[in-house]
Amino acid sequence: MSEQSTTSTRVEQSTDEFGDGSPAASTHTVDAETDERLDESWVEYEFDGDAAVSVSDLDVYYGDDHAIDGISMEIPEKSVTALIGPSGCGKSTFLRCLNRMNDRIDSARVEGGVEVGDENIYEGDTDLVQLRKRVGMVFQSPNPFPKSVRDNIAYGPRKHGDLNTGLLGRLLGNDDQQREDELVERCLRQSALWDEVNDRLDDNALGLSGGQQQRLCIARCLAVDPDVILMDEPASALDPVATAKIEDLIEQLAEEYTVVVVTHNMQQAARISDQTAVFLTGGQLVEYDRTDKIFENPESDRVEDYVTGKFG
Amino acid sequence: MSGEASTRTAAPAVSAFDRVALGVVGLSIVTFLLGWTTLFQRTGPDTAVAGLSLFALFGAVFLLAGAGLVGAGFSSYVGVFETTADRYTGIGTGVGFGVLGFAVGGLVTTIAFGVGAAGSVAAGLGVALVIVAAVAVLPEDLGTTLPVGLLSLAWGALLVAGIVDASWFWNPPSLEATFHAPIAVPLATIALSLLVAWSGAIVAEGFGSQGRQNGAYLLIGLNAFGMIAVLLLLILFVVRKGLPKLLEGAQFGPGLSVSVPFVTRGVMLGQQFNGIFPAIVGTVWLVIGAVVLAVPMGIGAAVFLTEYAEQGRFTAVIETATNALWSTPSIVYGLFGYAFLVPRFGNSNSLLAGMFVLGFMLLPLVVITSRESIKSVPDEYRDASAALGVNQWQTIRSVVLPAAMPGVVTGVILGVGRIAGETAPILLVTSGQPFPARAPSVLGSFRFVATPPFVRNEALLQASSALPYQLYAVITAGVGQEEAFGWGTALVLLMVVLGFYAIGIASRIYFRRKLHQ
Repeated sequence: MSEQSTTSTRVEQSTDEFGDGSPAASTHTVDAETDERLDESWVEYEFDGDAAVSVSDLDVYYGDDHAIDGISMEIPEKSVTALIGPSGCGKSTFLRCLNRMNDRIDSARVEGGVEVGDENIYEGDTDLVQLRKRVGMVFQSPNPFPKSVRDNIAYGPRKHGDLNTGLLGRLLGNDDQQREDELVERCLRQSALWDEVNDRLDDNALGLSGGQQQRLCIARCLAVDPDVILMDEPASALDPVATAKIEDLIEQLAEEYTVVVVTHNMQQAARISDQTAVFLTGGQLVEYDRTDKIFENPESDRVEDYVTGKFG
Repeated sequence: MSGEASTRTAAPAVSAFDRVALGVVGLSIVTFLLGWTTLFQRTGPDTAVAGLSLFALFGAVFLLAGAGLVGAGFSSYVGVFETTADRYTGIGTGVGFGVLGFAVGGLVTTIAFGVGAAGSVAAGLGVALVIVAAVAVLPEDLGTTLPVGLLSLAWGALLVAGIVDASWFWNPPSLEATFHAPIAVPLATIALSLLVAWSGAIVAEGFGSQGRQNGAYLLIGLNAFGMIAVLLLLILFVVRKGLPKLLEGAQFGPGLSVSVPFVTRGVMLGQQFNGIFPAIVGTVWLVIGAVVLAVPMGIGAAVFLTEYAEQGRFTAVIETATNALWSTPSIVYGLFGYAFLVPRFGNSNSLLAGMFVLGFMLLPLVVITSRESIKSVPDEYRDASAALGVNQWQTIRSVVLPAAMPGVVTGVILGVGRIAGETAPILLVTSGQPFPARAPSVLGSFRFVATPPFVRNEALLQASSALPYQLYAVITAGVGQEEAFGWGTALVLLMVVLGFYAIGIASRIYFRRKLHQ
């Protein structure tokens, strides 16, 4: 199998207790159902261009619970990467490692390295503010602040001191109102929301529909000018029409940004992503490859079972 | 038998049945209200209504209602009207009527036959057991109407026959108290009216689950109504008693000029109309001072405990301590202020000491309510803010606190209501002369001085009066002050507290608007 593929190499991740040490011979395994050993994986994905994020030997523990088990992968820039897998397989945990949101959970412990750009974010004194400006995040359920549409978008830049629209700025004469208006319009246009809300920028964001709120959250994330956008099941709380809009938006965003999407919906992953990483139980990355390859001809039998709906 | 609705004949005239039931409910609500007015002596036993004395009217109404209930129960039982009554009334209702039967049976035996405590308890128990057993197994249409209807008929007969009249009284041998008809009859009438209304409401919906729902709805509705009525009664009573004093010597006009001496003057010899202006100013300053001290401190503590401190034993201990502080009696706070603050603030009672003590009293409530409302701010807001690279303090300031503000303000409103009416601490740490001539001039007394703390305010360090303290002084003075002066003070105190409430509610609406518009 692996000989037929140029982009995929079989990698032994843990010590081999059963096999004879030869990767080619290990297609015959002890697992009768899947005809495949649980520690096998195909994660060497080769691509043109630079990696926006590279993860090496990442382990995450919640207390004694081993949530991510030695994952290494490189995420190409300006593309859409989908992370799929059954519930509890660690894909959201993995996503939250990329901007260190796991730091907010007391019991979480992270080992290994994550490089965003050229910087290992788990090493030394990484500036979380700078990191999260570079790696934005959109959550599962839309969570705009109970503020106006404008305030939601300008929130990040204002707090970072990039925009001075407060009283002091106005008094001192360097009022950034003009720049703020431009920023709000640009972000709303980028998130395909401008036409729907341009006449109610000062209304409360909680009055928008769920799909509009989620696109507003994307706009809010764009306002701090990130390189990478992480999305944790961004459409799972939305109806099909709103979902389609979000999917279109993700594909557009990939022209400028690196987008990593966690999704439960395999059709969605197949529609929007350039490459797909399949996580299966135990926090292991089983297969990572071009999306069409994953969905049409995966190397792993378990992945094939999963994407064809036989399991998970 | 009658248990199943399917065995009933078709209903010939449901509307007649309904009319009887609604009539019963309406009549009992009338007696309920008249019972209350009699209890508060707005109406008396001699008040003639429709040519009958009031008690005779009660009797007639209960006879009618009882007959209606019994009639409705039996007509449903024999199938004249189609209802959805259950096969059995059930143990719950049975036990309820049993408790009632115990009370009524015991009272009747001891009043009528003069038996002692043991005898009446035994008689009550006997009646109760019989009623529980009978009601529980009766069909619902009989079980819910018969006990109430028969009781209503009996009470009505007693009143109409004049066995219980305005001069009736009962002198229990084992108690020092005497129960007179002008109190006892309205009380019994009110209680029985509730029962009859409940039963009538069940009948009106044709028994079954619909009927029970209707009965419960009526009882709960009357409870809510009763609560509002108590509040209105209290306010109306104080207004009625206090308004003449408040408006004494008041002049409205010409034009916009208004003069109300009671709230704009102090107490001085040779003055035609004395007033309570100094006490009003004292109370307002005390509340403002306490709020200024307690609210920032309380919100700060709440932010630290919810956002920064690790949740565990430490926060649990603090939480218990704050709850204990909130339930500490105010006189204890006052004593603390008297022994600790007063010697440090110039060794005399002062406005400042009062502000501190009331601030300490307000603090725990602000902490408790602020903690709760900060906790209820969704974590999604914090996550969203953190994911944008905004640090924790900025998140708290810009997202968490604005979302928590309505809850915080609610807590402050409740607390202000308590401290504005507090008498004991003021008595100990603030009060001086009870009826001062002048109000403390806090704003006009700030002086800059060359030694620390560089600011002095004589008015803050002087004793002051306050409305609740003044009220207390009027009541205990005995001579020298008339009772009306006290009622006028009470009315003004009520208005000041309600005024603070209004400010609080307005600011809560403002903060809510900011979140949702």
